[in-house]
Amino acid sequence: MALEGNLVILREERHEDQPLFVDLRNDLETQGWNVALPPTYTEGMYVKRLDAMEFSYDRDSARFSIVLRESGELAGYITYSDLEERLAATIGIAIAKPFWGTGVAFDAQEVLLRFLFLELGLRVVHLWSHSGNVCALALAEKAGFVITGRVREGMYKNGKLLDTVVMSLLREAYFVSHPEIEDALPDLIREAT
Amino acid sequence: MDTARFANERLVLRALEADDAEALQAYLNDPALIGRRCIPWRMPDITPLARRQIEEILDSWAKEKKAFTLGIEMRETGELVGHAGCFWGWDTHCPGISIAVAAAHQRRGIGSDVLDLFLKYLFEKTPAHNVNGWIASWNEAGLAFARKHGFTESGRVPRGGIRDGTYYEEVMVDILKREWMVAGGDSDGA
Repeated sequence: MALEGNLVILREERHEDQPLFVDLRNDLETQGWNVALPPTYTEGMYVKRLDAMEFSYDRDSARFSIVLRESGELAGYITYSDLEERLAATIGIAIAKPFWGTGVAFDAQEVLLRFLFLELGLRVVHLWSHSGNVCALALAEKAGFVITGRVREGMYKNGKLLDTVVMSLLREAYFVSHPEIEDALPDLIREAT
Repeated sequence: MDTARFANERLVLRALEADDAEALQAYLNDPALIGRRCIPWRMPDITPLARRQIEEILDSWAKEKKAFTLGIEMRETGELVGHAGCFWGWDTHCPGISIAVAAAHQRRGIGSDVLDLFLKYLFEKTPAHNVNGWIASWNEAGLAFARKHGFTESGRVPRGGIRDGTYYEEVMVDILKREWMVAGGDSDGA
């Protein structure tokens, strides 16, 4: 069963997804990287990257294609990386502009968070953005993420000095905002004081 | 201070070689350095390290791209007393640094000397604008060291790991070039 939300399905990457992924990477507004990448990526590069992926039971990252449930249209991708098993991971998302403001990004994020907390049993999820990315910060805050750190003036983008920002969502906070879900994972680990 | 050679009157930062393995293993396996070994991310930071793992660490450091790790050698004795690294894979605008000093040689100003050399190099010879580091919240000595040298605490990322049955935070610290310059171009008393 795929990972399903109200609006979207998260599924494995396919070759037919690569043209949109290339477009997202070549658009300075959606490429989602800490430094500007040259907008010269090609479909060939992305297909090669996809074909080079090897099977493994020991994976610390994954990329999911975001597909609309109703139309089957591809809207973008969402990822997790830097997995520390049963403890933490970092998520990232890129959505094509026609789907901005439609709830697709939030739904995709919710589907992935459910997987990370309920299936992988993580204790915290992080994401990285920057102080100029108002939409990304708002999307994260809507899900309960809070800013937990900055690299002051750590980015220079579009002629501006920006703070790199890390945001975190604790497991407990996720379940508080989802009272319909029971958290049956015992956690006898004390919090730092 | 000869920063081109990463050296001062009492120590030299030099390339690490295969025959450093014994000294490296000895101080990395000192219980005092558990959890703050400043070794490649996926290598064990808590369990005792075997010689083969040490060799793997040295090999990993030798192959680093957009980063370097150097050994800290005392001029007088020739002893390897720690290692320190700079990494700018993220962005040369905001490189990260790490310093590990063998327990027996701590509290002698060695870390301060190394930090001064690194900051002078990064802020005078690279495009660095923000130099940063990560310190576990239980590492009070490391946090005090950062504060003493003018670093600002810019974040506390929760649940960076577990120690003695308790989550700890990863504390982000950084210093901007203008802050370093205002402090006189060195890090003491900033």
